[in-house]
Amino acid sequence: MIDQFVLVYADALGSFFTPEALFGVLIDGLAKASLYVMIASGLTLVFGLMGVLNFAHGSLTMFGAYLGGLVLVMTAGGSPTDPAALGGFFLGVVVVFGALGLLGGLLEWGLIRPIYDRPPLYQILLTFGLALILDEIARIVVMFYGIQPISSWQAALATKPAILGRTYDLGPTSVPGLDLFQIGFGLLTIGFIWAFLTQTRYGLYVRAGSQDAEMARALGIDVRRVFTVIFALGTGLAGVAGMLLAWDQSWGASVPLAAETLLPAFVVVIIGGLGTVRGTVVASVLVGMVDAMTTWWFNEAITFTGLPEMFLFLILVIVLAIKPQGFYGISEVGGH
Amino acid sequence: MALITREYARDHLIHLLVLAALAIYPAVYHVLTNGGAPTGMVALLPRVETMVAVLYFGLFAMSFDFISGYTGYLSFGHAAFYGTGAYFVVLVANGKVPLLAPETPFIWLLVLAGVLAAVLALVIGTFSFRLTGVYFAMITLGFAQVLYVFMRDWEYLGANPRDGIAVTGLTEGFRIGVPGVDSLSVAIGQLAGEPIDLFGSTLGASTVSYYAVGLVVVVCYIAMQRIIHSPFGRVMIAIRENEARARAIGYNTFYYKLGAFSMSAFFAGVAGGLFAGFRRSVTPENGYYFLVTGDALLASIIGGFGTLAGPLYGRLFDEGLREFLSKSGSGGGLLVFLRDSLGHPAMETVVIGGMTVGELVETFLNGHAPLYVGIVFVLFVLYVPNGMVGTVRDRLGGTCAKQLPAWLSDRLTAIVTAIRERVSGVRH
Repeated sequence: MIDQFVLVYADALGSFFTPEALFGVLIDGLAKASLYVMIASGLTLVFGLMGVLNFAHGSLTMFGAYLGGLVLVMTAGGSPTDPAALGGFFLGVVVVFGALGLLGGLLEWGLIRPIYDRPPLYQILLTFGLALILDEIARIVVMFYGIQPISSWQAALATKPAILGRTYDLGPTSVPGLDLFQIGFGLLTIGFIWAFLTQTRYGLYVRAGSQDAEMARALGIDVRRVFTVIFALGTGLAGVAGMLLAWDQSWGASVPLAAETLLPAFVVVIIGGLGTVRGTVVASVLVGMVDAMTTWWFNEAITFTGLPEMFLFLILVIVLAIKPQGFYGISEVGGH
Repeated sequence: MALITREYARDHLIHLLVLAALAIYPAVYHVLTNGGAPTGMVALLPRVETMVAVLYFGLFAMSFDFISGYTGYLSFGHAAFYGTGAYFVVLVANGKVPLLAPETPFIWLLVLAGVLAAVLALVIGTFSFRLTGVYFAMITLGFAQVLYVFMRDWEYLGANPRDGIAVTGLTEGFRIGVPGVDSLSVAIGQLAGEPIDLFGSTLGASTVSYYAVGLVVVVCYIAMQRIIHSPFGRVMIAIRENEARARAIGYNTFYYKLGAFSMSAFFAGVAGGLFAGFRRSVTPENGYYFLVTGDALLASIIGGFGTLAGPLYGRLFDEGLREFLSKSGSGGGLLVFLRDSLGHPAMETVVIGGMTVGELVETFLNGHAPLYVGIVFVLFVLYVPNGMVGTVRDRLGGTCAKQLPAWLSDRLTAIVTAIRERVSGVRH
């Protein structure tokens, strides 16, 4: 029995350290890292600036998945051609970003702004209540149109174009097209956020506000408006992340997607150090790689189904036990 | 001596009143549902089974509030202790825990479940209390989620651990009372519980469970209440108000926090054990998942964060609303009430967009209680941040136990004086 165990593991270890397997894990890990960056970057921006850990972030991602899926289904119709589907996707990105950004801005302006002078716990609690409301609204609407809220929305999944559905020979192994698409989209998003933070005036305000909101206000920056804009940007990013997930077989648009994306987003944001975009990117790569690796091990040798998910939270616990502020965190942010 | 006793009784008058109200609830419910009470009122009243759930989950919410509301450290992984208590009871009953026979008396199981949770809290707390604020909440969440995934996929637990585990080995109900003495203990459970004949009337299984579970919950509440009012509890509050200052006076706050965390986990474990004992099954989703902690947070905020009894009322509100908007409507509920009071034609009236009243209720209300609980929760956060009990406390200028009797006697005296004046006015 023990011999057999050792044999299986030795075998798996041998096949793990082959170029094919390692390269496959690398690509898979990068694709997962891109998804994690997508679902966590908005959360990180909002937290870094305002110290609000947004519990409704996952729900907004789920909204984005459904809304994006709706755009895809409407533009691509029954049998999508590649250009139509891709065009629909980028149209969807614009629609989702706009709609979710507007929703986020309204929520911040109407609900969170009145309680900034309270202890930070109350802002977190408020977003927790919002998450409940948004999830249930989604369930009502989805059920009204006769779609199963628990399982992935198949019609949206089916609009995935053929060029992303097939695999490509790349180096020692063949890679799914969707993985490459996700990596590209993730890089694009990181570039977009980087450019926003370092090249625009608003980005400057945001960086100033994250370091010292009071000082920034004293220097004449309307910090409240910056808050609203960043919250809108954060929810817009959450929505676009959801849109990207609507094509992914292992995620898909569903109501439980809210909790499924919220928890990894928390993990990534926390271990990166709350509020630093750089930390979030590094943490995404780490979590993505560990996720890909444990998924490979689960497929090859270990029969424990929850392995990748358990490692996700183990990383959180281990990193916080060793570095209590995460990789790049400063103790002032979120030190409440 | 007599003076001390009287003051003591006065301090606990409100406790006694609440206890009395809880004690007569099954009788009131029985009379109202079988008597000629208006259906609207019956639809609002939670069933006795639901009240059992209010009690054990209320205990869990109180234990959550014990650490989070009193020391200010948000224990967002508190479900770990609730789930551990629940899984422990079911696993022992299924003979899956070494050294413990399935027939071990339930009371011992509850104590052991609490101890197990307390030990787990010592381990988690040793790592977690090096952190503060959001980081503390997140590392406890991480621990709880690791346990959640582990218990969801560990095949040793049962045939299909994803769907949870149920008591399979034992047929008779778990007994609360003096361990080993059948005549001094009662079995709990919806089906496994046994009715009892008392003073010529029969108490149903749910009612018996209600009193038995309620007894344990009250004992736990008193224990927590005493801890809060002890010097140890004062240090907990000092940590919440200003930890640096508490440390400066010379308290080793780390050990106080760890101790409070462990105690709170003990009661969470007992609550989980009661839950499993009554329901006889547990799933990863209703034991370990982070939304279980979310429900406790909800109850605490609505009832009053940092007031020990508040979470129980918060949970009562939550469960009451859920049942009122439940799909089956077996306890009355909104749909049954509307059907009965409006009649068939009214329910078929088309209102907007070709939808009838019945369809509207079906679409927007039934089974969607989380939406309305969420709205109430947001309103509480915005406008009643101290919750129900906390707001009453603020109004009275002190804890309810201390101030309510004085307030009541003031009002009573005023009313009596008014009546006396009127009576004497009539006489003159």
